[in-house]
Amino acid sequence: MFKLNLKIALRNLFRNKVYAAINIGGLAIGLTAFVLMLLYINHEESYDTWDAGLKNVYQIRERHSFFTPDNKEHLQESNESRVGNLIRQKVPQVIAVTKVDPDWDFRTDNSVSVGKAEPIAVNRMKDADSSFFHVFKYRFIQGSESKALSAPKSVVLKQSLAKRLFGEDIALGKVIKVLAWQGDEGTDLTVTGVVEDSATPETAGFTAIMRTGNRDRDPDNPTNSNYCQIYARVNNDTDLELLNQTLKKVYIDYKKSTAPFKKIEYRSYFADGKYLELKALPLAKVHGNRPFEISWLEKLKPVIAICIFLLLVSIINFVNLVTAQSVQRAKEVGVKKVMGAYKQQLIGQFLLECALQSIVALFLAVILIEVLLPSFNTQFHVELSFWYNPHLAGMLLQLFGLFTLVTLLAGFYPAWILSNYNPASVLKGNYGDSLRGVTLRNVLVVFQFIISVTFIIAISVMHLQTNYLNNKDLGFERSNLINIRSGYDQSLVDKIKRIPGVQYVATTTQVMGNTFNVPQEIEYNGNKISLNTVTISMDALSALGVKLLKGRVFSKEYKQDTINTVVLNEAAAKLIGKNPIGKSYKIINQDKMLNFQIVGVIKDYHNEGFDKGVLPTLYKVTHLGGTSSTNNLIVKLNSDKSAAIIEKIKTEWKRTYPDFLMEYTTLNTAFDKVLENNNRFISMIMLFSVVSVSLSLLGLFALSTFVAKRRTKEIAMRKILGASNMQIVGLLNKTFLVLVIIANLISWPVAYLVVGKWLSGFAYRIDMPLYPFLLATIVSIIIAVLTVSIQARKAALGNPVKALKYE
Amino acid sequence: MIQLNNIEKYYANKGVKNYVLRLVTTTIKQGEFVSIMGPSGAGKSTLLNIIGMLEEPTYGTYEFMGEDVTSLNERKRIELYRNHIGFVFQAYHLIDEMTVYENIEAPLLYKKVGSSERASRIADLLDRFNIVAKKDLFPNQLSGGQQQLVGIARALAAQPSIILADEPTGNLQSAQAEEIMELFKKLNQEDGITIIQVTHSEKNAQYGNRILHIADGVVKEDVTVA
Repeated sequence: MFKLNLKIALRNLFRNKVYAAINIGGLAIGLTAFVLMLLYINHEESYDTWDAGLKNVYQIRERHSFFTPDNKEHLQESNESRVGNLIRQKVPQVIAVTKVDPDWDFRTDNSVSVGKAEPIAVNRMKDADSSFFHVFKYRFIQGSESKALSAPKSVVLKQSLAKRLFGEDIALGKVIKVLAWQGDEGTDLTVTGVVEDSATPETAGFTAIMRTGNRDRDPDNPTNSNYCQIYARVNNDTDLELLNQTLKKVYIDYKKSTAPFKKIEYRSYFADGKYLELKALPLAKVHGNRPFEISWLEKLKPVIAICIFLLLVSIINFVNLVTAQSVQRAKEVGVKKVMGAYKQQLIGQFLLECALQSIVALFLAVILIEVLLPSFNTQFHVELSFWYNPHLAGMLLQLFGLFTLVTLLAGFYPAWILSNYNPASVLKGNYGDSLRGVTLRNVLVVFQFIISVTFIIAISVMHLQTNYLNNKDLGFERSNLINIRSGYDQSLVDKIKRIPGVQYVATTTQVMGNTFNVPQEIEYNGNKISLNTVTISMDALSALGVKLLKGRVFSKEYKQDTINTVVLNEAAAKLIGKNPIGKSYKIINQDKMLNFQIVGVIKDYHNEGFDKGVLPTLYKVTHLGGTSSTNNLIVKLNSDKSAAIIEKIKTEWKRTYPDFLMEYTTLNTAFDKVLENNNRFISMIMLFSVVSVSLSLLGLFALSTFVAKRRTKEIAMRKILGASNMQIVGLLNKTFLVLVIIANLISWPVAYLVVGKWLSGFAYRIDMPLYPFLLATIVSIIIAVLTVSIQARKAALGNPVKALKYE
Repeated sequence: MIQLNNIEKYYANKGVKNYVLRLVTTTIKQGEFVSIMGPSGAGKSTLLNIIGMLEEPTYGTYEFMGEDVTSLNERKRIELYRNHIGFVFQAYHLIDEMTVYENIEAPLLYKKVGSSERASRIADLLDRFNIVAKKDLFPNQLSGGQQQLVGIARALAAQPSIILADEPTGNLQSAQAEEIMELFKKLNQEDGITIIQVTHSEKNAQYGNRILHIADGVVKEDVTVA
């Protein structure tokens, strides 16, 4: 029976090739998007799953205000380094604790050299204490866990880095020289181990773990602190609740006992609603809960929604087509029923047919994924693979689940409709019953078009917004501007300045791509105003090419500029009031009152994503009232031969820092990066909309083919009665047009809400435009009419005699 | 074998009953070959459908092989289809996606007949109807008469005790029609299969041994063919 049903199914597929292709192809596309998303989710879920023992590893998080974007207290991944020892000594459940460098964004790569070889840049080399591999049990290919970091000045390499540095040679016992910044003299580290690359991504990822000795000690002065990440391995069967209670108690005791040494009132820890907190977070939960970041799941939610929609659209196509075609199968159902087939057997048969199509679609999807993965990976900066996936078995299980779900969703309704045919009437050729499900089919077509029209509206609005952002005046000149990851070293700056074609060399803590904001409260006319402070060198504003609105920018001609002058941006000037030039304000710094004079106002310029507004900011050259610095050395070129000039700068750099590589970025790249997330999102939506619209059209095409076929007799009759071809095309179009227009009416408000929400995420945005809505309606109507007309024309041109004779 | 008592079938339309069958009472015994005749719209097919349990009467009782089947549950009805009733249709109603062989095999699969038994029965039927050479063809590759032969072979495959045929020769040329009617006669006389057919043709009706004349839903005449 099964074999026969399978045969029938295959014969049916071959007989209706077009339908089968549309059905299977559509489903394959929907499945591809969905499976890609599954792969991505699996990738994110696979963080820190490379070893079963990691269930006993916890990340310690401390609540403090150091290095937070808003200067308020938050539970953070970086802890004061003393917490490490505290846990090691006072928490009984803990077996091992390690302190390791966090992933700072502003850190430069390390330069690593072996012997006399040219240095290479290596990122994510981290300094740790001796216990790192007691907590994270990596498999050692060379060396051993117990000896690896037992002595200072040692380093354990990941397999991939060892290969890069030493090729196939044994790395164990070799010495590498590591420089952490350009002025660093370098540290010689002995390779004491090589560990296997982990199969899945890691939160505490690294290319090498160094033990330079810096992480072994805490600062001697109790008022100084050093921040690092802390991970702990605990006993089997440790209760998280209990562990956290112990941590809290130990931490509070510690804070209480150390407060006097820090010259802090213990009570001040609790002022203004502040409180003390130290928590252990299971490693498995760390990746999904990064502080100051929207978790990947939140970010992915719109994509998940879209993928589910796409899959739904393709399933809807499937249901629609199968139900529509069911008339052709009615006779078979009738005959089988009078031969003694149970209803369940018939349902089983049709589900089998559906399963056959979905399995073919699934295979097609897998092929499509293989083809698409490389470009998907580059687009989303991930390394996904299907066949080499470490969780292939789980993946296949998910696919099987998906297959079952799709089969049931797509197959059950048609199977139910079919198996319910009344044999007495279908065998007489009365298919009146087949009109059942017409309403449902219409609803499904409307639903598909709602999705498509919404997509069309969304992409046109997104396109307008992107155009607006791309052409938006940034407030500074980003061309011919490069940013070298380096501090301001006067001797190097002088050398670079002498290179012909270099206009300005300067430093600032605020430039697109690397911004370090320092909040400060000023007092003006008795009012307290909170401003953002940026420390720059004399030429920085000129190098950036910002527009001066009033007064002047800094210049060497004014001695005062190195003493107590500031320049404000427009946003800050607005807070100060009218005519700020020449006015003074005060700040209180370490009990002293300091006076600053405002000498200029510049136009706001952008240094972060367009989701954020420009902060009211003051710019100063003077060291009065404290300074800050980050690795920004910006160089403005006034020549088009930037590549040649950059080469010259590199040569100068090499002469000054032979062992440390120069890293730089152009401001154009930095700008692209700011737009990157947005552009990526838009290109994805674009792709999805194309897919969704084509799926809907395929569905409409197949459905109209079917309707035209079913109404052959009616059309022939009408022609005999004198209807023109145009009238017949119009007749068939009318039915579908009504559906498309209904879909448009529904999608307008839906799109308005969804797109409005997306737009509101931008601090700088266009007003909701009207014409994308009109455009979507017109486009959807035109393509629907074209699609239906292809079929309608065929039906209209057919010879009526044939149609009427045929029975 | 079949006992119909006061069978009525009507459709209520705005309170008016439109009768298709009125007070039909008759008995059909095992081994009879009954032809139901009458003008279009007389209720012939409805009567056959009720006998075949494809439709339920609005009123009256129906006993099939001594069992009241007036309103039977689906499972029991399907059991009867599998074991006792074979249908033959005017439009043959072969399944287009199946070959001749598979079409004949289908009822045996539902009846769960073992594969060797199945093969021998089908071989037997193919042989008997002279269609061995056609066994791997699809219905649309056959002539109408051949298709109807396959249709009858399929109806016989499950070895039913009764065959219900709704104008089995209606779509056929007269030569082919004669062939089919001869076959029915042979099945009735040699295998003792009860046959009930609906027909328009007086000539075809003569092949049987009893004719029920129906007009406007009422049995007007019940004659035995000499």
